[in-house]
Amino acid sequence: MTSHTEKEKKEPDLKVKLGPLILKNPVLLASGTCGYGKELKDLIDLKRLGAIVVKGISLEPRKGNPPPRIHETPCGLLNAIGLENVGLEAFKNEKLPWLREHKLRTIVNILGNSVAEYQKMAEGLSGLEGVDAIEVNISCPNVKEGGVAFGTDPRAANEVTRAVKGACDLPVIVKLSPNVTDICEIARAVEDGGADCVSLINTILGMAIDIEKRRPVLGNVFGGLSGPAIRPVAVRMVWQVARTVKIPVIGIGGISNFQDALEFLMAGASAIQVGTATLVDPGASEKILTGIVDFMVRNNYSSIGELKIRD
Amino acid sequence: MENRRINKQAKIVGNVEIRPGIFVMTILCPEITTSSSAGQFCMIRPGNIQGLDPLLRRPLSIHLTDQEKGHVQFLYRVVGRGTRALSRQLEGEFIEVLGPLGRGFQVGEDEIPILVGGGLGVAPLLFLARQLVGRRAIVILGAITKSQLLRLEPFRETGLEILVSTEDGSFGNQGLVTEVLDRLLSRLEDEAKANVTIFSCGPYPMLRAVYHLCSVHGVRCEVSLETTMACGSGLCLGCAVKAKDGGYLHVCKDGPCFRAEELAW
Repeated sequence: MTSHTEKEKKEPDLKVKLGPLILKNPVLLASGTCGYGKELKDLIDLKRLGAIVVKGISLEPRKGNPPPRIHETPCGLLNAIGLENVGLEAFKNEKLPWLREHKLRTIVNILGNSVAEYQKMAEGLSGLEGVDAIEVNISCPNVKEGGVAFGTDPRAANEVTRAVKGACDLPVIVKLSPNVTDICEIARAVEDGGADCVSLINTILGMAIDIEKRRPVLGNVFGGLSGPAIRPVAVRMVWQVARTVKIPVIGIGGISNFQDALEFLMAGASAIQVGTATLVDPGASEKILTGIVDFMVRNNYSSIGELKIRD
Repeated sequence: MENRRINKQAKIVGNVEIRPGIFVMTILCPEITTSSSAGQFCMIRPGNIQGLDPLLRRPLSIHLTDQEKGHVQFLYRVVGRGTRALSRQLEGEFIEVLGPLGRGFQVGEDEIPILVGGGLGVAPLLFLARQLVGRRAIVILGAITKSQLLRLEPFRETGLEILVSTEDGSFGNQGLVTEVLDRLLSRLEDEAKANVTIFSCGPYPMLRAVYHLCSVHGVRCEVSLETTMACGSGLCLGCAVKAKDGGYLHVCKDGPCFRAEELAW
């Protein structure tokens, strides 16, 4: 029984608007940590989530980097998977139909070796039923050409964004690399290029050495660091970028629980992606969503936007 | 048998140090006892880890299940922070468990299985031996020395034929498991060999020697591999191993039990 003195607790409005893309809530699964969705089908209720960002795809299939590909570090995970993926055609024919059938909001992460390749990928995805948006990966540290080469140079980042935007009718999110001197400069460049949204951060470049074997642990020598270890860096960058560009920001980086997610939403993110936490516990994203809702109810927030710290 | 994965907290009903640094943990998890097959594994996170370090769950082969009691057992060695934390857990406490995962051993109905386990590699083989009770099957167990020979008694309880070797001759045959296997296969006629499949788990050099021997004798072979894993469920693609065809296979979903000829040795 509710007492008369207690304020009436209303279900908060969880809807988020990422440019033209409207999602029912701000919790997304990050690319490279949720496969193509189906891998998680019996473990979580994918429909509850805002959207899923599928494993990064390239024009041609890629077999990925030689092992070892992963290494655990304090509160973190170093990886150098090397964008192993089925390629655009197989994605369209073998992976997308399942996502479409299950009516899951799907954001396709793409990676190219050249501006022309990014453009072709965007053309190939444009107008496809079941694809809700594109996330342009200009920040993968683990492949030789492409990827991060576009993410560390504002001019190249702008050019890729323009090419993708011009080649499709989909909302375009650009995923930014933290491995730069000034992430705001890159964010501005992709905003000028027409991006509808930015997501950040991708992994931080790192490495580990096996002292017994006296050689780098990872087959690729360098890898990308993810997990709780990088969260404070990510929160800082989201804070900065949210105060630099007008387009919405998606926060990513070591989010393991609802408190972490709220840090990002308060720093200025309109939505968040759960990555490494899903690898540790496939149910992490659902717990985070529940935690956000409970927190909002407890503290009388009526919308996600209200969480943002205004200054 | 339906292979349905569960992700939950499970109660520990036993965690016994059977040899210095080697433990058998028993958890209550009826779901896994009805959905798992020999060779599959679970991702485990000790419930006594405070905070986020170590971060990842650890892959452990299912050692044995007991459907009546709803018990699942894991045989593990303390090698790092994760297994050390696990070894300190007490009866009544909880672990997080995700499983059963991966491709288990595929045993044909009419074939004669020969199980070859070295050291801690006996972990998934006891489950398999238990599934083979009443069938014609042979188990070869090996270790460096008698004190490192694991789980001989539970294997004997299966009633299968057991051959044992130690490298220093302190128990059973003196020598390597591959020498025992070689003698065994050499005695068989080609016709009999056609019905034999080897199922092996142990250190990588041992597996390679077992596979080599199987190729020489023209006998089918499945091996269970161990690698570092992050997710155990095909999400991260971190557990890649080289495949024969030049590409990669993933231990968590294509394995951990592979037809040996699929792999690049």
